[in-house]
Amino acid sequence: MKSRKRFITDKIYQSLITLISLIGLVILIAVFVFVFNKGSSLLSWDLLTGDYYSTVYDGYYDSELTTNLFVAPDDLDSDTYFSTRWGIALKDDLDREGHDYILIVYVDTESPLANLPDKNNEGEMVYMASGQSLDKIIFSDNTIMLSSKGAEAAISQFESATGIKDIMFTTAGKGIRGSLITTMYLIILTLIVALPIGILTAIYLHEFAPKNNKLVNILRRMVEMLTGVPSIIFGLLGAAVFIPIVSTVTGTEGGNLISGSLTLAVIILPVIISSTEETLKTIPDEYRQASLALGATKSQTTFKVILKSSAPGILSAVLLSIGRIIGESAALIYAIGTSIKDEIIVTERSTSLAVHIWSVMSGETPNFELASAISIIILLVVFVMNLSVKMIVKKISY
Amino acid sequence: MENAFTINQLNLKYGEKKALDQITMDIPKNQITALIGPSGCGKSTLLRTLNRMNDLIDNVRIDGDIRYEEQDIFAKEYDVINLRTKVGMVFQKPNPFPMSIFDNIAYGPRCQGIKDRKVLQEIVERSLINAALYDEVKDRLKESAKELSGGQQQRLCIARAIAMEPDVILMDEPTSALDPIATAKIEDLILELKKKYTIVIVTHNMQQAARISDNTAFLLMGELIEYDKTDIIFSNPKETKTEEYITGRFG
Amino acid sequence: MKFPIFKIWDVKKKNRFFDKLTYTGLLIPTILSASFVVLIILFITERGVAPFLPSQYGDLSVNFLRFMTGTTWYISPNIYGIFFIVINTLYVVFLSALLAVPVSVFTALFIAKMTPKPISGFFQTVVELLAAIPSIVFGVFGLGVITDVVKKIATVFGMQTAGGISALSTVLVLAIMIMPTVTLLSITAIKAVNRDMENNSLALGATKIQTLFKVTLVSAKSGIFAGIILGIGRALGEATAVSMVAGNAGTGPDFNIFNTTRTLTSTMLLGLKETTGLDYDIRFSVGVVLIIVIIVTNLLLNAAKKRIGKFS
Repeated sequence: MKSRKRFITDKIYQSLITLISLIGLVILIAVFVFVFNKGSSLLSWDLLTGDYYSTVYDGYYDSELTTNLFVAPDDLDSDTYFSTRWGIALKDDLDREGHDYILIVYVDTESPLANLPDKNNEGEMVYMASGQSLDKIIFSDNTIMLSSKGAEAAISQFESATGIKDIMFTTAGKGIRGSLITTMYLIILTLIVALPIGILTAIYLHEFAPKNNKLVNILRRMVEMLTGVPSIIFGLLGAAVFIPIVSTVTGTEGGNLISGSLTLAVIILPVIISSTEETLKTIPDEYRQASLALGATKSQTTFKVILKSSAPGILSAVLLSIGRIIGESAALIYAIGTSIKDEIIVTERSTSLAVHIWSVMSGETPNFELASAISIIILLVVFVMNLSVKMIVKKISY
Repeated sequence: MENAFTINQLNLKYGEKKALDQITMDIPKNQITALIGPSGCGKSTLLRTLNRMNDLIDNVRIDGDIRYEEQDIFAKEYDVINLRTKVGMVFQKPNPFPMSIFDNIAYGPRCQGIKDRKVLQEIVERSLINAALYDEVKDRLKESAKELSGGQQQRLCIARAIAMEPDVILMDEPTSALDPIATAKIEDLILELKKKYTIVIVTHNMQQAARISDNTAFLLMGELIEYDKTDIIFSNPKETKTEEYITGRFG
Repeated sequence: MKFPIFKIWDVKKKNRFFDKLTYTGLLIPTILSASFVVLIILFITERGVAPFLPSQYGDLSVNFLRFMTGTTWYISPNIYGIFFIVINTLYVVFLSALLAVPVSVFTALFIAKMTPKPISGFFQTVVELLAAIPSIVFGVFGLGVITDVVKKIATVFGMQTAGGISALSTVLVLAIMIMPTVTLLSITAIKAVNRDMENNSLALGATKIQTLFKVTLVSAKSGIFAGIILGIGRALGEATAVSMVAGNAGTGPDFNIFNTTRTLTSTMLLGLKETTGLDYDIRFSVGVVLIIVIIVTNLLLNAAKKRIGKFS
């Protein structure tokens, strides 16, 4: 009897533990579901390549209107309105603040509206395209179309118009091209700085340093201490040290991509050093002995044999670092700043993808959709990096 | 008969432990000298002092001297790296570098500054021929050395050592990790190599020592018990301990 | 064909010189790597001490004593108090550890001891992926989901929250973030326990659960504790996610989990877009306090770990 009771109690405890262990899985799925839910609708080529800031354009059309009629493409929604004379499809939509606006859904490539002379810049052209919003039109007979009247009304005005004195439209903003490019710049610059320093440090500590030397142990301890430092402290370091240095060298005020990269380099330095050292430890000593027995010097042995064999381990370190760089937010908020830019210049500031999220989430109206869309991208990259590292590690142990 | 090495009262300690005790012997040129003895007797240690590979271990204390080419190899100004180009080594476990066959053999010469493609090709070919491996790999020199069988890898390591044109080749139990057929091939190779090089071989396989060596040294607990021509050691040893080891009473 | 002798000699000299050069050359990046810790301490302290020095800020310098004992963060123009923030931070981190540790240890037990290889590999990957999620994403998740959850919990208890932004949200987000760290380290510790000991226990008639709790966990104690220390260290330093769900209460200390709160890190990030001068520099002072809190916590916890270790 007693043993049966114990058996049942045991099973109950085991089930309890199993249930609790599922919490981790639940959270992972919850994060994914939430982020996909909110953000997937926003994911598009336009998002990746578009500007963040919208621009308002002014065009006009005073040439002859062709008598050819345009045909609406088959894939238009039922609530879109199409103008056969101008080849443009419009639809009513709500912006994020809940205001109505007219969304340009389609512009035929042959449409006169696809290339319009720029009203504000003599000789320049402006281009209407899907995704933009139609703000206001003054037709050549001086009738005015306002976006508040809706797409249907606008289209009927188009059908009866012969020319356009002034057509105002706004490009869709909220694109992340700037932050995407910034992130790539940061990855490359950071790796260029951190890889050599990290790898050489690991080589010194593992291959060349005298063993049981007090000074070497102190150096090693100091390098290890870097792993426990929170990112925001690195951000302070960047603001206190790198920004002034970079300012005097490049003449810019405040942070820029270079100060950001330097800060990120310090953050990933311990990752690179420990990964490389771990790899060096797995290289069998026989290689070193065989090389030295052939009359090679220590540096020849290290650079011609050992380093080559460390390639997979160093690759893992690089992949892990990329994951870290892409996700880093607090440090960059201090080391660069939070201004989103469309034009990316290395000696000026802009936001990485993670900081872009911070920027649109702080403030009175957090933009969950954009934040989630960017999070999807970040999560995908981070997961691919981590899983790749797992595969490399598996390959090495064979 | 000239000597490749003259060893005089060599003592070696690892920390407090004495590994070699007053070893005195000459190693003749162009002959095969075998070092035999039970595990831990110091034969590998002795072998490694000849190319100063013991330097790589911490806490090693050596006194006595070893003369190579009339010079004391432990002298302060003595060029160790130079020594190793003239005294090559083959290890117990075949350990080709993770590179192509060609690059493995060209490694040593390249470290010494040889860059000319043609010269390197000549060296690689010659070494492979002399290591009895050329015919088997001549069409796949660019393939990874790791793809070869154990026996082939070991011959590759021998070729790698020969590429440096050494005077002496030290071999530390070169066939203990190989199957009997590969072992036989390497033993034949060693007998061939004797014509050009001096060979010192450590082996725990007495029959191997009896088969191929000209001279045999028997070590026990760091001491050189007996050193003589192989025939004598194996048919008529002078020391009792030698006889006991040969006949398998211990070891 | 021997190599031309003179050629070898040149190369040898070059090689030897190169070897020495490499040795010194490698020392430089190593010293550089080691120096960053020093740079961090030096320069952050330098900036952090400035607000208190009349030589820097004249009349506007901050009173150090008020800073260390204050219960309000900011009263214009130069009164800052950090004491309550430290208390809040420790409170929030302590609660999150309370939540995370049992979940982590059980999950580690589950992965390491209770499932066959393919399943445990899957769950371990799940934990590793969780560990890889950057804090900004947790911040978005926190603001989007956790705050809603907290709102619902609050209504159950009849409490009000500021849209879910509260200490409880912070605790939950932090718990989620440190769970992977503690789990992964616990897995290593548990796997290292001697199988024979466990088999002995089973052979004596103990059930699986009894063995796991009385033998395995007890032996893995110090490794698990090390994981907890690491997790707590990370929680103390976590900035982005926390600042998004904490709310940044102006005064305190406040132990009501449904009220907004403020941590050292959230203070450092709050309002960073528009700050200059004293308000900017004071964040460095907060940074210094953060570093001190982390170091002291680490020392205390490590001392505790040693004492617990003595009893095993």
